This record gives sequence, C-alpha cells and structure tokens, in this order.
Amino acid sequence: MIISDLISDLTSMLPDSHVEEKSSPNQFFGNDGDIIISPKTENDIAAVLHYANENNKKMNIAGNGTKRGFGGTENKADILLSLSDYKGIIEHTVGDMTITVKPGTPFQELQDYLSTHNQKISLDPSHPEEATIGGVIAANDSGPKRLGYGSARDHVIGLRMAYPNGEIIRSGGKVVKNVAGYDMNKLFVGSMGTLGVVTEIVLKLRPLPKYESLMLLTFEKESKEEIRSFAVQFLDSMMEPVSMELLNPELAEKLTGQKVLTLAIAFEDVESSVHYQEEFVKNMKSGASQMTILAQQEAKEFWKRFNYLFPNGQREQNGLAAEAVVKVGVKNLDVIQILKESDWLEDAHNVSVHAHGGLGHGLCQVHLQGAQDDIIKAIDSLRKTVKQLNGYAVIKHLPLALRQVIDVWGGKPSYFFLLEGIKTKIDPKKTLNPKRYVGGL
Amino acid sequence: MLRKKGLKTHDKHIKKLAAIVGPKEILFHKEELISYESDGFTIHSHMPKAVVFPTNTEEVAEVVKYCSDNDLPFLARGAGTGLSGGAIPLNGEVIISLVKMKRLLSVDLENRRAVVEPGYVNLKLTNSISDKGYYYAPDPSSQYCCTIGGNVAENAGGAHCLKYGVTTNHILGLEVVTPTGKIMEIGHDGIPDAPGYDLLGILTGSEGTLGIVTKITVRILKNPEEKQTVLAYFDDVADGSQAVSDIVSAGIVPAALEMMDKIAIEGVESAAFPVGHPKDIEALLLIEVDGISAGINEQINEILDVCKKRNVRSVKVAQDDEERAKWWANRKTGFGAMGTISPDYLVQDGVIPRSTLPEVLKRIGEISKESGLRIANIFHAGDGNLHPLILFDSRIPGQTDKALEAGSACLQACADAGGSITGEHGVGIEKREEMRFVFSDKEIEAQTDIREVFNPHYLLNAGKLFPSPGRCAEVKKELKAAE
Ligand SMILES: Cc1cc2nc3c(=O)[nH]c(=O)nc-3n(C[C@H](O)[C@H](O)[C@H](O)COP(=O)(O)OP(=O)(O)OC[C@H]3O[C@@H](n4cnc5c(N)ncnc54)[C@H](O)[C@@H]3O)c2cc1C
Ligand SMILES: Cc1cc2nc3c(=O)[nH]c(=O)nc-3n(C[C@H](O)[C@H](O)[C@H](O)COP(=O)(O)OP(=O)(O)OC[C@H]3O[C@@H](n4cnc5c(N)ncnc54)[C@H](O)[C@@H]3O)c2cc1C
Repeated sequence: MIISDLISDLTSMLPDSHVEEKSSPNQFFGNDGDIIISPKTENDIAAVLHYANENNKKMNIAGNGTKRGFGGTENKADILLSLSDYKGIIEHTVGDMTITVKPGTPFQELQDYLSTHNQKISLDPSHPEEATIGGVIAANDSGPKRLGYGSARDHVIGLRMAYPNGEIIRSGGKVVKNVAGYDMNKLFVGSMGTLGVVTEIVLKLRPLPKYESLMLLTFEKESKEEIRSFAVQFLDSMMEPVSMELLNPELAEKLTGQKVLTLAIAFEDVESSVHYQEEFVKNMKSGASQMTILAQQEAKEFWKRFNYLFPNGQREQNGLAAEAVVKVGVKNLDVIQILKESDWLEDAHNVSVHAHGGLGHGLCQVHLQGAQDDIIKAIDSLRKTVKQLNGYAVIKHLPLALRQVIDVWGGKPSYFFLLEGIKTKIDPKKTLNPKRYVGGL
Repeated sequence: MLRKKGLKTHDKHIKKLAAIVGPKEILFHKEELISYESDGFTIHSHMPKAVVFPTNTEEVAEVVKYCSDNDLPFLARGAGTGLSGGAIPLNGEVIISLVKMKRLLSVDLENRRAVVEPGYVNLKLTNSISDKGYYYAPDPSSQYCCTIGGNVAENAGGAHCLKYGVTTNHILGLEVVTPTGKIMEIGHDGIPDAPGYDLLGILTGSEGTLGIVTKITVRILKNPEEKQTVLAYFDDVADGSQAVSDIVSAGIVPAALEMMDKIAIEGVESAAFPVGHPKDIEALLLIEVDGISAGINEQINEILDVCKKRNVRSVKVAQDDEERAKWWANRKTGFGAMGTISPDYLVQDGVIPRSTLPEVLKRIGEISKESGLRIANIFHAGDGNLHPLILFDSRIPGQTDKALEAGSACLQACADAGGSITGEHGVGIEKREEMRFVFSDKEIEAQTDIREVFNPHYLLNAGKLFPSPGRCAEVKKELKAAE
C-alpha cells in the first residue's frame, strides 16, 4: 500500500486526529514512521491500533520522543503514533492523594499543577519539561532521588492500556493497595510500548516535602576507599537521605564548577529534621575536603540542572562524533568501582565520560562522547567490568547506526522464553515498537 | 509431620515422589493429610493426593517436573495461613510444602539485602537482624508464623505498609521453579531494574499460580531513629474517619494509621491482650509516626491538633516501648480476638478510596442489618484497606452461607465506591466470582493469557484467582484449545 492510501484510509477513519506524512523520517535516531498520527481520544488510539494490526502495519509509539535513541534497530515503521496531543488531567482526588492523567501530559506540567495542592508525584525523571508521563511510565524511569522515591513502578496504581487489537484493558484501579488478580501494572510499566499503548495512568501522590537541602562533599581523586568507608558508615546510620549520588569529576565540574569527585546527599523532611541530618553528616569523619550545603531553592536549581545534563533523542550530532548514555545496574557500593572505571575509560579510549551513580541502590548513568569507534570500544570495556560485578549495562541512548551493531540490551536473560511468550500472547503480529526491546522483541 | 505409618503403597506416583524427596519427606495416608485439606480459609476443604517436603531447589524442580510430565496437579504451600484458600488442593493436588526450606541464606548489611528460603518465617528475619538495627518492613499480622514465600505469593501487606509499601516493594530477586520444572533466577544478586518485562512484579502476588518461589532476595531497612504512637478515641465513626483524611492532608505520612470500630473493640478487649479501651466509644485510631527524631514532635503535635478538631474524646501518646507493644499486640491479634465473641468469623478484605470511608462504613452497617449478622471493622484506614469481620455461627443451618453472602456484599460496596475486592489477602478460591465486580471478561482473559505463558499445562494451582469458565471469554478459550 502506498503512503497516500494509508493516509487517506486513516484520515477518513479518524476525522478528529491529526494524520500527516513525515517528509523526512529521523535517520539519526530511527524509531520513526512514514506517517505520524497524533490522536486526541482513546477511541482514536484504539482505532489506529486495530487498523494497523488488521492490515499488518508496523507502528512505533512516542510520547515526545526524548527516548528516541533508546532501543530499536529500525529506521522507521509504517506509522508513528504520537501521544503528544493526548494530554491533560482527568481526575485529581486531593483527599485520596491520587491523580488520573492522560499519557501525553508533560511531566513538569503535572508537578507544577500538583504543587498548588502541596502534592507531587514522587519521581524525578530527566528532561521533565519534554518527557511525557506516558514515556516515563513506559520506560520505568527514575532519577537521582531513586533512593528515597523509588521508581515509576512504585507509584502507578492503575492503567488503561490499548492492546494491539484495539481492546482497552484496565489494570489495577484507583486505590493504593490492591491485590485483585495479577499485578498487570508491573508488566506494562517499563514495557517500552511493546505490549500496548498506555492511554490512562492513575498515580499515587505524596505530600511536598516541607523543606529540602543538598550537601555536596568533595573528595580528592585517590580517596575512593575513604568514600566507601564513609558511605558504609552513613548507610548504617538512621539518617534518611533521599539521594546519595556520587558524581565523577567531569560531571561535578558541569554542576558545581569544581572538577573533583563529589558526593551529593539530599534530605527532604520538616526543616528541623533536615538540619539535624546535616549536622550528623558534618560530625562524621567523611574525609571530604570540602562540604557545601545548598538549601531550598538552591537545591532545587541544582537538581533542575542535573535533570538536563544528558542528551535526549531530540539532539543530533554531526559527522563521526557520537554520544551514548549507558545505564548500569550493580550492587550499591560497586557504584564506586563503576565510577573508577569511567575515569579509566576516558584515558583508554579517548572519550569524554560524565558519570554518576547512587550509593544505596546501585544504578549508574554513564554518558560517553567521542568518535563512534571509540564509543563502541568504551562500551565493550565497561560491559566487561559490569559483568565481573554481576551487573548489567543497558544503552539508553545511542544513534541508530550504532544500535544496529551493538546489542543495547546486552543479550537475552535465561528466562527469555517467558518474555517472548508474553510478547507473543499480547502482540502476536509484532505490530508495536518492532525490535525495540530485549532480545529483539 | 513425621509419617507414622510405613511407606507401603502401590501408587507408582507416590513411590516416585518418595524417591525424589526421600521416604521421610512425604505424607500420603488419609489421616496424615487432614491438616492439609484447608488453610486459613476454613470454610472450604479438599483432600490432597500427597504432601512432599523438599529440602532444596533441585528437589522442588524434580517434583514439579515429575508432576508436569505425569499430568499430576500440584501446588505450593507455606505456613497455610492464607485467608482466601490459595493453598487448598481443589483438584487433589500434590502439595509441595516449603516449610523445610527455611534457612536464612545470607545477610548483606552494607548492601541492605538478605537472601532467604521460601519457608523462612517473616518475623524471624527481623528478629535475626534487629540487634544490628535493621528490619524487614512488610509486617502482616500473621508474621510470627507465615512464610516469606507465602508473602511473595500473596503480596502481603501489614500495618506499616502505608509508609513503606507492601511486599512487592521489597523484593529484589527471586529464584523460581517454573510449572514445567525449569529453575529461573530473576533479579540477579538483587540488582534493581533487570532489563525486560518486570517478572518480579508479575510473580509477586500471583498467588502461587505462575511458579514456585525457592529463594528470595529482600530489601532490609534500617530502623527509624524514633517512633511515636498515638491512641485516639472517638464517639463518632465519622469524626474518626475525617481525622484520618485530615492527617494525610496535613502532609504527614504516618508509618501506620489503623482504625477499629465498636464491635472490634469489644472483641480485642475480651481476648488475650486487652488494653483497657473504653467499651462505649465508637471508634479508635492507632497512629504511628517514625523517622528522624528531630522532626517527630512537630508531626505528633499536628496529629493531636487534628484529633481535637475532630471532637476526639481522649487521645494519648505511648509513654514507652512497652505501652506501644501492648497497643500493637491488641491490634495485631484482632482477627483471632473475634473468636472470643463469636463461634465463627469470616475476614473480608476490601479496599476503598480513603475519602469514601464514611459512606462505605454506612453501607456495611446496612449489610449487617440485612443479614442479621454482626460485622466488626478493623482496618488499615490510611490506605483504605477494610477488614469487615462477619460474625456467625456455623452450627446454625444457613448462617455460613449468609456470612459468605454478607462478605460478598461488603466487597460489592467497596467496588461500587471505586475500590477493589482485596488489598492483601488475595482472591484464592474465596473471591473468584467477585473478580467480576472489578474486571470485565476481557480483562480477566488478559490475565489468564499471562498464566498460560507461565503455566501452560495448568497443573499448578488450578482453579484459583479467576472466576470459573462459563462466561464467554474463557469458554471461547477452551473451544480454541480444543480445536
Ligand atoms: C539518554 C537518556 C537518559 C535518560 N536518563 C534518565 C534517567 O536516568 N532517569 C529519568 O528519570 N529519566 C531519564 N531520561 C529521560 C526521561 O526518562 C524520558 O524523557 C522519558 O521517560 C520519556 O518521555 P518521552 O515522552 O520523551 O518518551 P518517548 O521517547 O516518546 O518514549 C519512551 C518509550 O515509551 C514508549 N511510549 C511513550 N508513550 C507511550 C504510551 N503512552 N504508551 C506506550 N508506550 C509509550 C515509547 O514507544 C518508547 O519506547 C533519560 C532520557 C534520555 C534520552
Ligand atoms: C491471623 C491472621 C492475620 C493475617 N494478617 C495478614 C495481614 O496483616 N496482611 C496480609 O497480607 N495477610 C495477612 N494474613 C494472611 C496470610 O498470613 C498471608 O497471606 C501470608 O502471606 C500467607 O503466607 P503462608 O506462608 O501462610 O502461605 P500459604 O497460606 O501456605 O499459601 C498462600 C498462597 O501462596 C502460595 N505459596 C506459598 N508458598 C509459595 C511459594 N514458595 N512459591 C509460590 N507460591 C507459594 C500458595 O500456593 C497459596 O496460594 C493473615 C492471616 C491470618 C491467619
């Protein structure tokens, strides 16, 4: 079928949605479509899915496309379904601390609205102004405050999903505790749009903290042992940091102007409790050469800058230069070793490396910049170290050309047959986000 | 548990199973099986074929493989405290009891995790790390005897889940024997966010229908620096419920926020751990706040203010750990306490949006009148999880059915209020039909589709969790399978 036929079919089917040919599909990141559809209703979303599934069309899904560089080995599918016009708050029950939203709503828009009620979604994804809540949920994102906040999976209490055959399936509900049937929410959160389109999300909310602060502790380069023993001691205390993020010197320089290994410790609570915890840190033998405290607005601004450090799928490079973002999962304290390894990568492979990782949960982000060949070599070395630590490394952002030569998911787990079985049950024709997920699902 | 009779049998399956687990680790004589006919949902029972007690994962896998290859239905069982009938052998299953796999395998304080076998008892974990200042957060009232494997299967909650989350929020890794006998490790070394669909998430709360858990990596937490507990008495249930909303609206996230009504109080006061609650009050709130010491008093003062604004009759703060422990023992033994004021009781487990509490309580009052049965209410008010306890006497013909009907009506009331039919006890056998209160046929089919991926021959714990076929979706599926 030629593109113009596809467009006329869909336009007549969906008078209320925007359907348009894409003049030049994104070559650089891929995951694009010949035509782009931006539905405004759930009915239209279901209708597009049904149509694509019946007519053997392939379909990519995007919120705002900040994650266009995440997974996928194809330049384009027949249809790109954009959720960016399907947005807004459906219901906010202030007293129940729950909110129901449409997936295309930008994350920051939700937070700004909720703050007028002294509430928030307890998540801090990067690029919050561009990232849609649907994308954050589909990618199960979490940010530097993971330690205190958890990840998307901990906050979603209900979903409406449009399945590839166009049926709407509800999971969970509007209550914060619920074990009726399988916990299907968990299956959909993080499924990267490979099982269905999220059309409605119910989230549980938390109160805005009454006060927050951020302590920046700097360490001289050789003192990783010191950091380790400080971290062990601090984690063994009864303090309750929401973040304990270690930043490599290059990353720290971008945020603080000082090129030195830095530990960012954040507190959120009533003011007296935050100050008490600051004092506790000050009285510990941390081995830090410097300690700075940013309070309230200053802390907020630091995190805001932090959330825009890394590239997103809306930014392209020229020539042979490339950027990659690798998410590494290891055991908590092995984060220190991953950051050490990052320094080494810089020298060994002639790439620039910005990295941070959370003591207390073990997730790191490593941002690499350099020539394409060097990036690939650097990722290989990093993966070797990660493997020794029993962890994993997933490349969250990489140009399409490189994604076609390196498995961004790092191979198939032993239980791959279960993942494949789930995909095949729900999307037997492989209509959605083809080849975007683990093991080419 | 030791078999009193010898291993004399002509049943080749029994012989083979005995060969796998050892002749001492199997029960199959009728009189030995009686205590395995049922679990905490005593209204229902059925005889198993046998009970085996494997001592390691390989034995579990071998038993499963044998059952799977020979078309023998089977299921897992922990302590048997489940309240929805999940461990009842409806189809004459071979019961795989995990109680002999009860070791604490490792504790890694630096990385805040512990690895346990499935038969390890919940409270033992906290007890074995408390000297170092750590604990395991999910605290079902049955924690002194239920197993962590059973907790994973039911996604168990507890009083302190309001702030710290339920079981699923504390599971970092699982070793699972699939229903066809493969051993899978999910969430290697307890590292979060393993690439791929969230199998930990779907397995937790799957009520033993997707696999048998043989090893669990859990998150452990550091004890809060300080804890304060408040007890408040109200003359009007509506005031008590309003106070619950006000506390949460004030931006406080209590560690626990529990409520009991008049009949429940009558029960706990006549049982083993009376506190001396006044008998004429309509409702009490038990509120616990924990965290950094410097911030606690501020929150306690706010809570006291809220209670006063809502016409509290009296309110007090626990003076020491001893008093706090007394209040909690009184609350945590609340279900059993009903036994002192009624020959039988049925525990229900609905969830509602917190703001609908007054209207739903009113409806439950009406259901009580309509059925002629007394209904006590004990609940995790902070997260809207109600436990209506329906008091009845099974010796009176027809009362058991009446109690079941009243229970179902309570769940309907929860569903009508925008809630759910179970918050922590699971669907099991008990609430299969009530699944239709909250899910359409297609939504149920979406779930049984997932079951088919894991449990293709449907020999593991069949007949649980979903309404029996008979309506279009599953019938269609059966036809499809028969083609
Ligand atoms: C390199 C990089 C690193 C990042 N690191 C972090 C981080 O560490 N922590 C963090 O919190 N954030 C991070 N983010 C940003 C943030 O997570 C994303 O911006 C956000 O999750 C995606 O929003 P989006 O609307 O742009 O999604 P998109 O890029 O449009 O979509 C993301 C994925 O979700 C699918 N999807 C989108 N909407 C739906 C829907 N309604 N239904 C089904 N599937 C859907 C898409 O198909 C795609 O697979 C990072 C972003 C990038 C590019
Ligand atoms: C007095 C009392 C108070 C209670 N209070 C609470 C409470 O506050 N919160 C709460 O959530 N629950 C509560 N319960 C319910 C019950 O204790 C929990 O559901 C508990 O998690 C069950 O654990 P168990 O070891 O007894 O499991 P069992 O009853 O033996 O089994 C329950 C289900 O889990 C499956 N299963 C067991 N072990 C495994 C395994 N290793 N792998 C796979 N499947 C398995 C079984 O097949 C069955 O379907 C209470 C029960 C009682 C009797």
